[in-house]
Amino acid sequence: MKSLRISPIGKRVIFVFIIFGAFALLKNSFATYDSILSIVQGIAFVGIASAFLTLLITSGEFDISIGANAALAAIVAGELVAKSHLSLWLSIFLTLLVGLVIGAINGAVVLIAKVPSFIATIAMLFIARSFSVYISQAKAIENFPGLWKGFKGSVMGQYFSIIVMLVVILIGEFILNYTTFGKVIAAIGANKEAARIAGINVIRTKFILFMLTGVGAALAGIVADIHFSSARSSLGTGWELYAIAGLVIGGTSLFGGRGTVVGLLIGLLLMQIIASGMVAGGIDPWWQTVITGVIVLISLGIDRKRKKVFVNE
Amino acid sequence: MSEKSTGQYALEMSHISKNFGPVIALHDVDLKIRNGYIHGLIGQNGAGKSTLMKILSGYYPSGTFDGEIIVAGNNVELKSPRDAQQSGIAIVPQEITVAGTLTVAENILLSEFNKRGLKLYAKRDEDKAIEKFLADNGIPLVSSQLVDTLTLPQKQILMIASALYMNPKVLVLDEPTSSLTNDEIGTLFSIVRNLKVKGYTTVFITHKIAEIMDLCDSVSILRDGQVVYETDRTHFNSDTLISNMIGRSIGELYPTKNVIKSDAPVVLSVTDLIVENPRKPGEKMLDAFSFELRAGEILGLGGLVGSGRTEILKALFRENSVLAGKIQLGDGKVYGDAIPDALDAGIAYITEDRKIEGLLFNMTIRGNLTASIMQVLSAKGVLKRKSEKEIAKETSKSLSVKPSDIEALIGNLSGGNQQKVLIGKSLLVKPLIFMLDEPTKGVDIASKAEIYQIIHDLVEKGAGVLLVSSEFPELLAISHRVIVFANGKYQGEMVGDIDKEHELMLMAIGGK
Repeated sequence: MKSLRISPIGKRVIFVFIIFGAFALLKNSFATYDSILSIVQGIAFVGIASAFLTLLITSGEFDISIGANAALAAIVAGELVAKSHLSLWLSIFLTLLVGLVIGAINGAVVLIAKVPSFIATIAMLFIARSFSVYISQAKAIENFPGLWKGFKGSVMGQYFSIIVMLVVILIGEFILNYTTFGKVIAAIGANKEAARIAGINVIRTKFILFMLTGVGAALAGIVADIHFSSARSSLGTGWELYAIAGLVIGGTSLFGGRGTVVGLLIGLLLMQIIASGMVAGGIDPWWQTVITGVIVLISLGIDRKRKKVFVNE
Repeated sequence: MSEKSTGQYALEMSHISKNFGPVIALHDVDLKIRNGYIHGLIGQNGAGKSTLMKILSGYYPSGTFDGEIIVAGNNVELKSPRDAQQSGIAIVPQEITVAGTLTVAENILLSEFNKRGLKLYAKRDEDKAIEKFLADNGIPLVSSQLVDTLTLPQKQILMIASALYMNPKVLVLDEPTSSLTNDEIGTLFSIVRNLKVKGYTTVFITHKIAEIMDLCDSVSILRDGQVVYETDRTHFNSDTLISNMIGRSIGELYPTKNVIKSDAPVVLSVTDLIVENPRKPGEKMLDAFSFELRAGEILGLGGLVGSGRTEILKALFRENSVLAGKIQLGDGKVYGDAIPDALDAGIAYITEDRKIEGLLFNMTIRGNLTASIMQVLSAKGVLKRKSEKEIAKETSKSLSVKPSDIEALIGNLSGGNQQKVLIGKSLLVKPLIFMLDEPTKGVDIASKAEIYQIIHDLVEKGAGVLLVSSEFPELLAISHRVIVFANGKYQGEMVGDIDKEHELMLMAIGGK
């Protein structure tokens, strides 16, 4: 019997295929390469922004500001490249630094000032979003020079965001579930006191994760700039909600202690397949969000049952 | 594990003093623990045990107290819990602190992970290594098992394993038995003994004398912030240990029994009663038995855990059903078969499970005391605050509940004081028959003495008491008579006499 047991991730993958298959049967054009590509493309940015967020959540903290943080990064990168004409690499470096600083501020407010992370990062959401609108004066930044612009339409440009997402997700998954540091993260989320007894510096570890999350969000902003050849302050609106839904569907505990970045990918994919499938099938898009809500609830139910065996397998 | 030749002590704490403002928590405490010993540290709540351990664990950093700490011959300055760990002191806290979503191996390796930083985690190899570590130390855990699926005692053992993995020079177990059953305590003890064989030095903190007698090689007794007594195994004497711990002699622990008046009426008579097994409806818990309880009498129900004692009390209280037999009150009357009927008949049941069944934890002392007499205290549905307060204050005072502030939350009280409130709550209903189930469970000795006195006062005033206790000396010292159950049968009756513990034990295991 043991060989028949399917891991939670495996079950979720099968579920994604079933849903995809169902839509493909309804509408033949759904199973084409272009259609699949656009589905994956559709989750690339939020996937990049929330991969490291998974690590942070597994440690028992939260970051609501990822979308706003990505928007600010997109605008900062746009300003640096298109208006200040800095080199591409320097701009990327400085933008990631901005993400790091925002993550560090989040971390400091939560860990030193002891503000609950939910509240601290909601505040950051408003602040970062406002800055991105203010800096860009609510206008899209378009005139991207050289390589930056040349990406659009090229083969590399087509796959770029997807590749970055896969790389970031694999790095996140590797750290979280295949390294000693990942175990430390999960231990902190499961029982802070137990971690402390083992000599773990809980605050330092969480601080690193806040910064990592900030960098991940900034990276999403940069990749979006490159993908679209333009920067908009409206980028990332509602990402935090998709990230949370994707995490829950994927099997990450929002209370910490247990996380999977690959699960996040599956969760995001599932939501995107349903959204695209409904559009393709001509179903009122209003139903999309209803179905997404229902799936979130169902996956919570699955987890309540599976909670005990999840990490074991 | 210290093989160091620089001394015979694994740990020396000398001239330790600590004040909190004007309060002296510890005064010139000396604690010396020999290599390879299991050293007992006992003392009542507030004696200074936890302050001493907080100093040892680096929680109170060096500089905030006087005195010095020497680990395996080396003078150490402990500025943080980390320092303590690195100096070879591993403390297993009383509360269960494990990471439930990780496996046994991962929990044990946590301290190691922390040092390694970002390294590949080879699950299979690590599991194997931990499997070996567990087997070597005689610890019955499976390395790949998820900790959420462990039982409470297994988690306790896991904490010891985790501490052990740090290869400490001194292993400190802080009241490790407080949430374990007797069987589980046995397993724990055999692990600790095995560690001793391996050369580990252990400090075993408890307030149970029996555990010291059973397990330890030496002992220190803390009282009022000072070491009042220390000795080693060859000089162990339970009376001496107890009297040093409580600061008075053993004879004063139990009140002198009252004499039951010759004309005292029977308040409860049970004839050929067959109690249902609550876990197997329709089946009996015990064969038929009979007994009588007289006014002013304390009747003990003896037996091992699971022998049906609690079920008998619950059947009389109408919480469990009876299959056959007769239950009569003093005047020959019977009462209905619902809990309110039992209450109306003047029967009070004081549960062994104060956390779940007995007390309202987020309420005050006042609220708990008066919870069952709300009707009496109300006029047309409106609570009379003033009389409620008066009654609560009076009751709290008569039972010497601490703190004396009746607005204190029950959850913040010590076990002994919670128990007093629980008794006080039923007291206010003015029952004729008290049924007390393990009234001193998890209670320190000073509070025990007070609870004995309260029980004594109850019978002095003419109530009848049915008492269940797993502590045989206590049961024998308090009860006038003890009736014993074992193997689903009534085994017989004996006189309550503290010297007859052996006899009682024989009966309780069904050996007569």
